[in-house]
Amino acid sequence: MHHDDATTTGQIQLPTPTVWPIVLALGVALLVTALVTSVYIGALGLVLILMGSVGWFRQVLPHEAHEPVPVETEEIRVETARRLLKAAPISDERRKILPIESFRISSGIKGGLAGGFAMTVPAGIFSVVKYHSFWYAVNLMAAGGFVSWAGASNQFLGEFHLRGLLAATAIHGMISILVGLLYVAMLHMFPKYPILSAGFVVPLIFTGLMHTAIGVVSPILNQRIEWFWFVASQIFFGLVCGFVVNLHDKVRTPQFQALPFAVRAGFEMGPGTGAPTDDAAGKKNEEENQA
Amino acid sequence: MATQTTAVVDRTVHAPRGRVFDVVKEWLTTVDHKKIGLMYIGYALIFLLIAGVEALMMRIQLAVPNNHFVSPQTFNQLFTMHGTTMVFFAGMPILFGFGNYLVPLMIGARDMAFPRLNAFSFWISAFGGFLLYYSYFGGSGMYGAGSAPDVGWFAYAPLTARVFSPGHSTDYWTLSILVSGVGSIGTALNIVATILCMRCPGMKMNRLPLLAWLYLVTSGLVFVTISPLTAAQIMLMLDRYLGAHFFDTQAGGSAVLWMHFFWIFGHPEVYILVLPAFGFASEIIPVFSRKAIFGYPAMVAATVGIGFISLTVWAHHMFTVGLGAPGNAFFTFSTMVISVPTGIKVFNWLATLWGGKIHFEVPMLFSLGFLFQFVVAGLTGIMLSVSPFDWQLGSSYFVVAHFHYVLVGAIVFMIFAAFYYWYPKMTGRMLDKKLGQWHFWLFLIGFHVTFDLMHIPGLLGMPRRIYTYEADRGWAGLNMAVSIGGAIQGIATLIFVYNLVHSYFKGKEAGADPWDAWTLEWSTASPPPAYNFAETPTVESRRPLWDLKHPNDPDSKYEG
Ligand code: HEM
Ligand SMILES: [Cu+2]
Repeated sequence: MHHDDATTTGQIQLPTPTVWPIVLALGVALLVTALVTSVYIGALGLVLILMGSVGWFRQVLPHEAHEPVPVETEEIRVETARRLLKAAPISDERRKILPIESFRISSGIKGGLAGGFAMTVPAGIFSVVKYHSFWYAVNLMAAGGFVSWAGASNQFLGEFHLRGLLAATAIHGMISILVGLLYVAMLHMFPKYPILSAGFVVPLIFTGLMHTAIGVVSPILNQRIEWFWFVASQIFFGLVCGFVVNLHDKVRTPQFQALPFAVRAGFEMGPGTGAPTDDAAGKKNEEENQA
Repeated sequence: MATQTTAVVDRTVHAPRGRVFDVVKEWLTTVDHKKIGLMYIGYALIFLLIAGVEALMMRIQLAVPNNHFVSPQTFNQLFTMHGTTMVFFAGMPILFGFGNYLVPLMIGARDMAFPRLNAFSFWISAFGGFLLYYSYFGGSGMYGAGSAPDVGWFAYAPLTARVFSPGHSTDYWTLSILVSGVGSIGTALNIVATILCMRCPGMKMNRLPLLAWLYLVTSGLVFVTISPLTAAQIMLMLDRYLGAHFFDTQAGGSAVLWMHFFWIFGHPEVYILVLPAFGFASEIIPVFSRKAIFGYPAMVAATVGIGFISLTVWAHHMFTVGLGAPGNAFFTFSTMVISVPTGIKVFNWLATLWGGKIHFEVPMLFSLGFLFQFVVAGLTGIMLSVSPFDWQLGSSYFVVAHFHYVLVGAIVFMIFAAFYYWYPKMTGRMLDKKLGQWHFWLFLIGFHVTFDLMHIPGLLGMPRRIYTYEADRGWAGLNMAVSIGGAIQGIATLIFVYNLVHSYFKGKEAGADPWDAWTLEWSTASPPPAYNFAETPTVESRRPLWDLKHPNDPDSKYEG
């Protein structure tokens, strides 16, 4: 609004102080107060509102009232007593925390869906072997969403229910996609043993989480769950999902842009590739107190 | 290291001082965002103290069983006035005050987008507060003349119906909230317009200080939530005086309708209060860790995420009503989901601390307290979000302990941090460090004695809003301890107030940039001149002052 610079004009235009906003505010407050006091207060409020509005209008129309404020510049030094230190050289193979490549979000969704489909195989086998019906597992999953199914019999759960199928698909699909996305976010952080991390570690952690939380999330599932089959399905999911995610091309992250040209062009090794690196491209220096 | 002429010393010719009238006139007519910000803060501090005294009176009443320190009627007024004052006349204005003061300075603007609207908004909110307290004299209520509202801060129907709340005390509650809501909307509008339109050259949205982002989202929430609140207040007035029956169950109205209206406002309101506190933390923690904030884009995304999700969780305050299975499931789920973006924030603050060179100045002490307490409060929140758990503990002291953990442990702690951090900018003098440390440690101890222990009587079945209790319940010792903790916090607060006054006259000169910080407000004089910046600044990164201080290694080299 006011882009005039003090250095050229020696003054700056600022809005003139004005009494009308407070008058208007008092008027409105009094008018409202009249409801619980007396009409005279309301009348006073009304008068103040009129005065305030007219006065305010005249402040801004036809021209916004400004007043010049004189300015005298004096240099303010923006400086610091601290100095920069190079990040301490711990070892040549310093751990690099910023990945220069990562997976696409879409590959997480695909991986999640693939894993989700794959997981129905062990779950289905369990269901058929133990309860002689594929629908048992489906309905059990769905029961978390239907409170009225809490006390349902095994027979009921073994029958086909459209509601159950829809709810189970929704719940299972959602969770699968979320976990797939999690894989996309995590996998490149543990690049060394993808099969171990994606296929076993994550499923086991997830199982641990479920084991503690399930009583709250879905009491009915808690009563009937078979942990052996649960773990098996999880691992199956993890392997398939991790595999599918890993199939896809990686995309470059902003860190890649910060690499020197030679690295980007593929002539040289850069950070994140295991080679010793130049600090400027890897971690930014932070400052330290003067020793 | 570099020098830069970014600011000037205030050589403005002021009206001759000394005459009280001139000073008063200057403040009453000002449209300067800094003066208005200070008035907001001062006004809120007064109400903070009043509501604090109300809290202590309640604690005296509850310290021992079968007590009659105040009458039951007075007790009802005390918790109503305490809650209403803290939320509407201490919390909101203090945060708006800091926002008013800081946002234009941090984005390199000369003032708010609408300076006169700014003054109007402040004054109308202020008059709302006076109106609430005038009820003590004018609000002839159920118990004879001169009576404050006593219907609780959420004023459930049908208690507010005319049969149950005759006289005007409830009307004072309604009207004062209605009036001050106008001011909240005005200021929120101003903050949004200022952030969107008044940024200095180079201040792109992805370089905006996080504090400004947080205020942007908070202001958005104010728009969405004050409207249903105002609508509900008007409906209540219609019920009471024009024979409408919105909330009158006897005539086909619905008391639950009021709950929905109130909590669709009420839950986002708690985020309106906590988001600015997040903003303070996001500015203070990096400076005292000597590192840039970790994960800026994630912080912004989490902020926006919290804004949206907080609009979908309100009925977790109504689990005990009996929402039915789908309702319980939905609101349990949405309430749990909000801990995801919240968790992202906590991890980013921790990651900012991680490996940093931490300076334990007073603002940082309070910020660390905030981090810890906010996590604990989030955990009890998650516990309460599980509807069957809430059926046991809703309306008990457990809930009271949960939300005070957030309101005091997180928000009040960050407000104190903000005072210690920005007071030098506002006054030109540092707050005394020794007194600050006394304030911090006493307050921390008092806080934990009060609110850690308060969970237990809740678990043991002590209902909230109870006037007194029998000695054989097993709550007596705990309540005594809780009250003592309250007194300790009171003493700590007095030390703080003394520090504010003392340091204003005797404090160490601060200079422009006492903390060696990185945002624009520290590039101008302390206190800043009326026009903030003589030359409009230009920025090239999220830490413009870092760039000036380290011309060889500026942030702009690294930010995409
Ligand atoms: C992860 C975060 C949080 C969760 C999961 C959560 C959950 C809950 C739940 C379920 C209740 C209802 C308890 C009942 O009335 O029975 C509640 C009450 C409350 N919460 Fe939180 N909360 C969270 C964060 C916050 C924050 C950030 C604030 C404030 C800034 C806050 C302030 C309150 C207040 C004031 C009440 C009680 C209102 C009243 O009954 O007067 N909560 N919270
Ligand atoms: Cu809530």
